[in-house]
Amino acid sequence: MLDRESTFADPQIVKLLKTRFIPVAIDQANQRRQQDTEGEFYRKIAGQGPRNNFQGTTQGFYIATAAGKLLLYNNNRDPAKVRRLMQEKLDEFEASGAGRAAVSELKPTRVDPRYNARLPQGGLVIRVQAKVLDGYQPTANRWRSIFQSAMSRDNLWVSPEEHQALVRGEVRRSLQERIARFHLVDNTRGEPPMWARNEIQELEMTLHDGRLSGAAHLETARGDRGFQAELLGVVEVEGQTVVRFDLVAKGLFWGEGPYTRGAPQGKFPLGISFTLADGSDLADELPPQGARGWLQGYLR
Amino acid sequence: MPAHTNPGRRRRGVAVCHLLSAVAATLSGTLAAFACGDELTMAEFESLHKQLQVAADAPWRTIPWKTAMLDAQQAAAREGKPIFVWAMDGHPLGCT
Repeated sequence: MLDRESTFADPQIVKLLKTRFIPVAIDQANQRRQQDTEGEFYRKIAGQGPRNNFQGTTQGFYIATAAGKLLLYNNNRDPAKVRRLMQEKLDEFEASGAGRAAVSELKPTRVDPRYNARLPQGGLVIRVQAKVLDGYQPTANRWRSIFQSAMSRDNLWVSPEEHQALVRGEVRRSLQERIARFHLVDNTRGEPPMWARNEIQELEMTLHDGRLSGAAHLETARGDRGFQAELLGVVEVEGQTVVRFDLVAKGLFWGEGPYTRGAPQGKFPLGISFTLADGSDLADELPPQGARGWLQGYLR
Repeated sequence: MPAHTNPGRRRRGVAVCHLLSAVAATLSGTLAAFACGDELTMAEFESLHKQLQVAADAPWRTIPWKTAMLDAQQAAAREGKPIFVWAMDGHPLGCT
């Protein structure tokens, strides 16, 4: 979130990435674990840096050659510093002749299914975006300010069976629970805690004449985190296919998780939109955060 | 507690919340916007849905990110360029 609005908002960095580098964005929690060619190539690069214990996070920015030689590890997002380091490493790369050296393209000889989740054929991808609508104390702190105005992004996957149920005008319970547990979350400041099934206090969603409406009350046993929301939207069908799935959840959220510190005090309004993906956004192809390493648990 | 469907209870809860928020607003002299998670109207749904969309022209979204290391390696080998890896906890293009 912070990187998007700082490092990758810098016009010179954007230009360098578009023209002089091959940029790749990954959830390293997958690559540092996955037992396949993809994971091996990532670990070859990261293992040359300071974060070479793959039991813990290896997050940061890396610059490397196609042969897997690490040129830079950096975990500072200050645009001026990143820009300077990028230019320095680019100069070194070109002076070394690495760009002219013949390097074989790696082909995947193994694919670890646990970290290569694929949407079942006939399913749907729904974009999910959330924003805290009010409640923050004003701040002059640049980073805090970015968090306070941030909009999150995740994907909801709808199974083929749930898709066909929507076509018939039904919202399957499995879909209702997936929406509630994995997508009615405040992920605007980082990776959020998802809801356990026994934290669903109330949940209803109905579909009548193309109008999807409902309500949800999610709350931990201790009451230190919760969300009470209304849902309203439109589902349109052509033939056997959903062609529009626009939904909004709005309500009062309270609490935070270990990686989402800095929430507004008390209860605050949170809005979440759901929109059928059309594949035009690169992020449309990403698996849901809730499916990380366990697609069966997410889709059940 | 398992999920339970009870629209009547929900509507009563919203009504009570409206009453309490009106009292609070009177006492504090402030508007209690969103205080109850009051029921959405179609107009509000349309407006909020439009508001909750990421700008397509945000600079980070104009960068041609690849999402697999092997795709990046293959392109780097072909084009003779270095690879820039943005590696995060959670996917940097999604997740949060």
